Amino acid sequence: PPSAPSTKCYRCCTSHSSSSSEPFPLSDPCLSLFFSHCISAPVGPHFTECISREQETFRCWWSPGGFHNLSFPGALRVFYLKKDSPNSEWKECPEYSHLKRECFFDVNHTSVWIPYCMQLRGQNNVTYLDEDYCFTVENIVRPDPPVSLNWTLLNISPSGLSYDVMVNWEPPPSADVGAGWMRIEYEIQYTERNTTNWEALEMQPHTQQTIYGLQIGKEYEVHIRCRMQAFVKFGEFSDSVFIQVTEIPSQDSNFPFKLALIFGVLGILILILLIGISQQPRLMMILLPPVPAPKIKGIDPELLKKGKLDELNFILSGGGMGGLSTYAPDFYQDEPWVEFIEVDAEDADAAEKEENQGSDTQRLLDPPQPVSHHMNTGCANAVSFPDDDSGRASCYDPDLHDQDTLMLMATLLPGQPEDGEDSFDVVERAPVIERSERPLVQTQTGGPQTWLNTDFYAQVSNVMPSGGVVLSPGQQLRFQESTSAAEDEAQKKGKGSEDSEEKTQKELQFQLLVVDPEGSGYTTESNARQISTPPNTPMPGSGYQTIHPQPVETKPAATAENNQSPYILPDSPQSQFFAPVADYTVVQEVDSQHSLLLNPPPRQSPPPCLPHHPTKALAAMPVGYVTPDLLGNLSP
Amino acid sequence: MIIFNLMSIKQGQWAVLLWPYLLTASIPLDCRDEQGGLSHCPSISQEKLLDRVIQHAELIYRVSEESCSLFEEMFIPFPLQLQRNQAGYPCITKALPIPSSKSEIQQISDKWLLHSVLMLVQSWIEPLVYLQTTLNRYDGVPDMLLNKTKWVSEKLMSLEQGVVVLIKKMLDEEMMTTTYSEQGLFQDDGQPEMLEYVMRDYTLLSCFKKDAHKMEILLKLLKCRQNDMHSCA
Repeated sequence: PPSAPSTKCYRCCTSHSSSSSEPFPLSDPCLSLFFSHCISAPVGPHFTECISREQETFRCWWSPGGFHNLSFPGALRVFYLKKDSPNSEWKECPEYSHLKRECFFDVNHTSVWIPYCMQLRGQNNVTYLDEDYCFTVENIVRPDPPVSLNWTLLNISPSGLSYDVMVNWEPPPSADVGAGWMRIEYEIQYTERNTTNWEALEMQPHTQQTIYGLQIGKEYEVHIRCRMQAFVKFGEFSDSVFIQVTEIPSQDSNFPFKLALIFGVLGILILILLIGISQQPRLMMILLPPVPAPKIKGIDPELLKKGKLDELNFILSGGGMGGLSTYAPDFYQDEPWVEFIEVDAEDADAAEKEENQGSDTQRLLDPPQPVSHHMNTGCANAVSFPDDDSGRASCYDPDLHDQDTLMLMATLLPGQPEDGEDSFDVVERAPVIERSERPLVQTQTGGPQTWLNTDFYAQVSNVMPSGGVVLSPGQQLRFQESTSAAEDEAQKKGKGSEDSEEKTQKELQFQLLVVDPEGSGYTTESNARQISTPPNTPMPGSGYQTIHPQPVETKPAATAENNQSPYILPDSPQSQFFAPVADYTVVQEVDSQHSLLLNPPPRQSPPPCLPHHPTKALAAMPVGYVTPDLLGNLSP
Repeated sequence: MIIFNLMSIKQGQWAVLLWPYLLTASIPLDCRDEQGGLSHCPSISQEKLLDRVIQHAELIYRVSEESCSLFEEMFIPFPLQLQRNQAGYPCITKALPIPSSKSEIQQISDKWLLHSVLMLVQSWIEPLVYLQTTLNRYDGVPDMLLNKTKWVSEKLMSLEQGVVVLIKKMLDEEMMTTTYSEQGLFQDDGQPEMLEYVMRDYTLLSCFKKDAHKMEILLKLLKCRQNDMHSCA
């Protein structure tokens, strides 16, 4: 029949809209049906809706649709079928309200959980609906809105910008919630006044709820609706309630006042303090103690000022009333760094270490490195060497136990021999070296032992490219064993390579720098040059003159001359030197090879390659430290 | 317990609601003794027992409603979904003289209320078990649906036990709990995908939902009556 699609589509659309809050899905068959039929075809008489408010009664409304000839009262009649038994019958509406086109079912005619079917019939029993409008009462319940909606202010945020509100209400009076006849849950919605984007809070069955985060000054509109729990249809919204909280002026006025008070008090306190300090110098001392100026004992700080270098150097060299001599012991005792000079990575021989612990010089002394190439590559080999912060920048190769760069060391100060043990164990490792050519280092026994075992303050005269340091003695020392050492040396010559086990031998092979016992504290440049004559060309950029282990020969002459110094001269044609070894050496120049010239040469062969080489030579004998302004002159 | 897939909001709500009830509601029904008979639960009061029974019923209704919606979405073509608003399908009705309006309910006795509830519960135990088996054979049935129906079926059995105990306590009568029979009311036909069978299952779920609601309200009215006779008018 032609009306079939229209009624079907109509009910489809209405039922879908009433049952769910979602919009039509586009692929909905109802939608297609709607567009194809509902728009064009006239709609016949139909029921608009049946609603129960409290699950005890219900009402149904109908509409004649497009059939205006049926719009007069009584043209359409409502029949219902209550399927509570197999042989039930259609009955007419118990109570009409023709004005509203409503059929009302009272308590006696309402049964829950029993299907009802409704029909619209015309005068002559013509049925206008293709499908009966069937339902069960609990599914058409739309509860009345809650009543007595009210709100109370819970709190205001510390910033004073937002607040929370507790809303409470009563369940609809018609719904028998107390007896459990209906289980209701509520939904609150709120929005800013005069806007329509309602925000819904979560549904819950209690009769109060908190709205968080409302803003001060704005006016909000709140309303509520409810539905049966686990059902779909909502009731109507209640009347709106308006919430507004304006700013609290007291808080605002308090805040700046407090702030001003605090600042004022602070300012006054500061003022009093300043006045007190200015009046009372003692107070000033307590509060702002003076910063200590740099001081050196025994030296007038005035001398440290610029331009008074000479006096300072004089004093430091001990020319004063023994300023340095008394000074020096204190000096090195006060300097903790002296003790921390470690020479190399010794083997894990504790005993050996014990012996050596007292003598940094000993550590610095090492069996000389015969081969230059070995020395040069020594650094590379020492990659694996753990370089802890021991102050040695050298590339000691622990495996080889040799310190390629040798420390021509001269022990500087007499000290107590620690024990009769071999203090030169460090150097004993020299025998371990398997290099073919071992520099014969004159060993010192006895006397050197003494000074080797003691800690002393050694001046670094030079630094090897491999990192070893050349020490020079600071003071005159006994040189008793030079002769004996010379003897030993003759024996030890060439012996080192095979003597790897003889650690107990009290042979210490050193390559020593002859110390000038003059006590001048400085070595002349010529001496230094003699000291450090590299057998091969210096490595570019080395910056230092290297003292290579060289075969040491006895030099009776040297020894004789060095009666005062306990050192053995390394006997090499190149390394004859009698230079006084000083505590400090002033670097006068840097020559073309980037060596630090301790005493500038008399300009025999000016280096051609470096025309810009600084030729400033200090007029005075270099006696002192390299001051920064001098250093500037030295850099090439 | 059953692991539920918390994908949709509905599920989330349900799960959130479920757990506290599970904790409380699963406890009291340890009053059965070894032979399946009944024993008093001296440790729990009657009010508490009734409360827990009511909680059971509420949850059962909620879960059954969700199961029905799920099933409807998955398997029922939309035009036939109009039956949500209509009840033009026959439910499994036995000649149960169960009151169907508030006034009727208020007029009947406690004894009759309890017996009505028990009858309802017992009439649904077997069909739900059957529903489990048929649902498993659907193509693409979501696990959630299976879990829910399984849960409902189990909870219904617990509810039955609770009501039996309640009857024993309140009415001092001994009732028997349902025993399973392999021979159910329904035959296990093949071809579950045919519309006819789909509609049958859908009808089953809808009718059970309705009856679950009924159980809940009956129990609640009973409770109200227990507390205060006069305010439950």
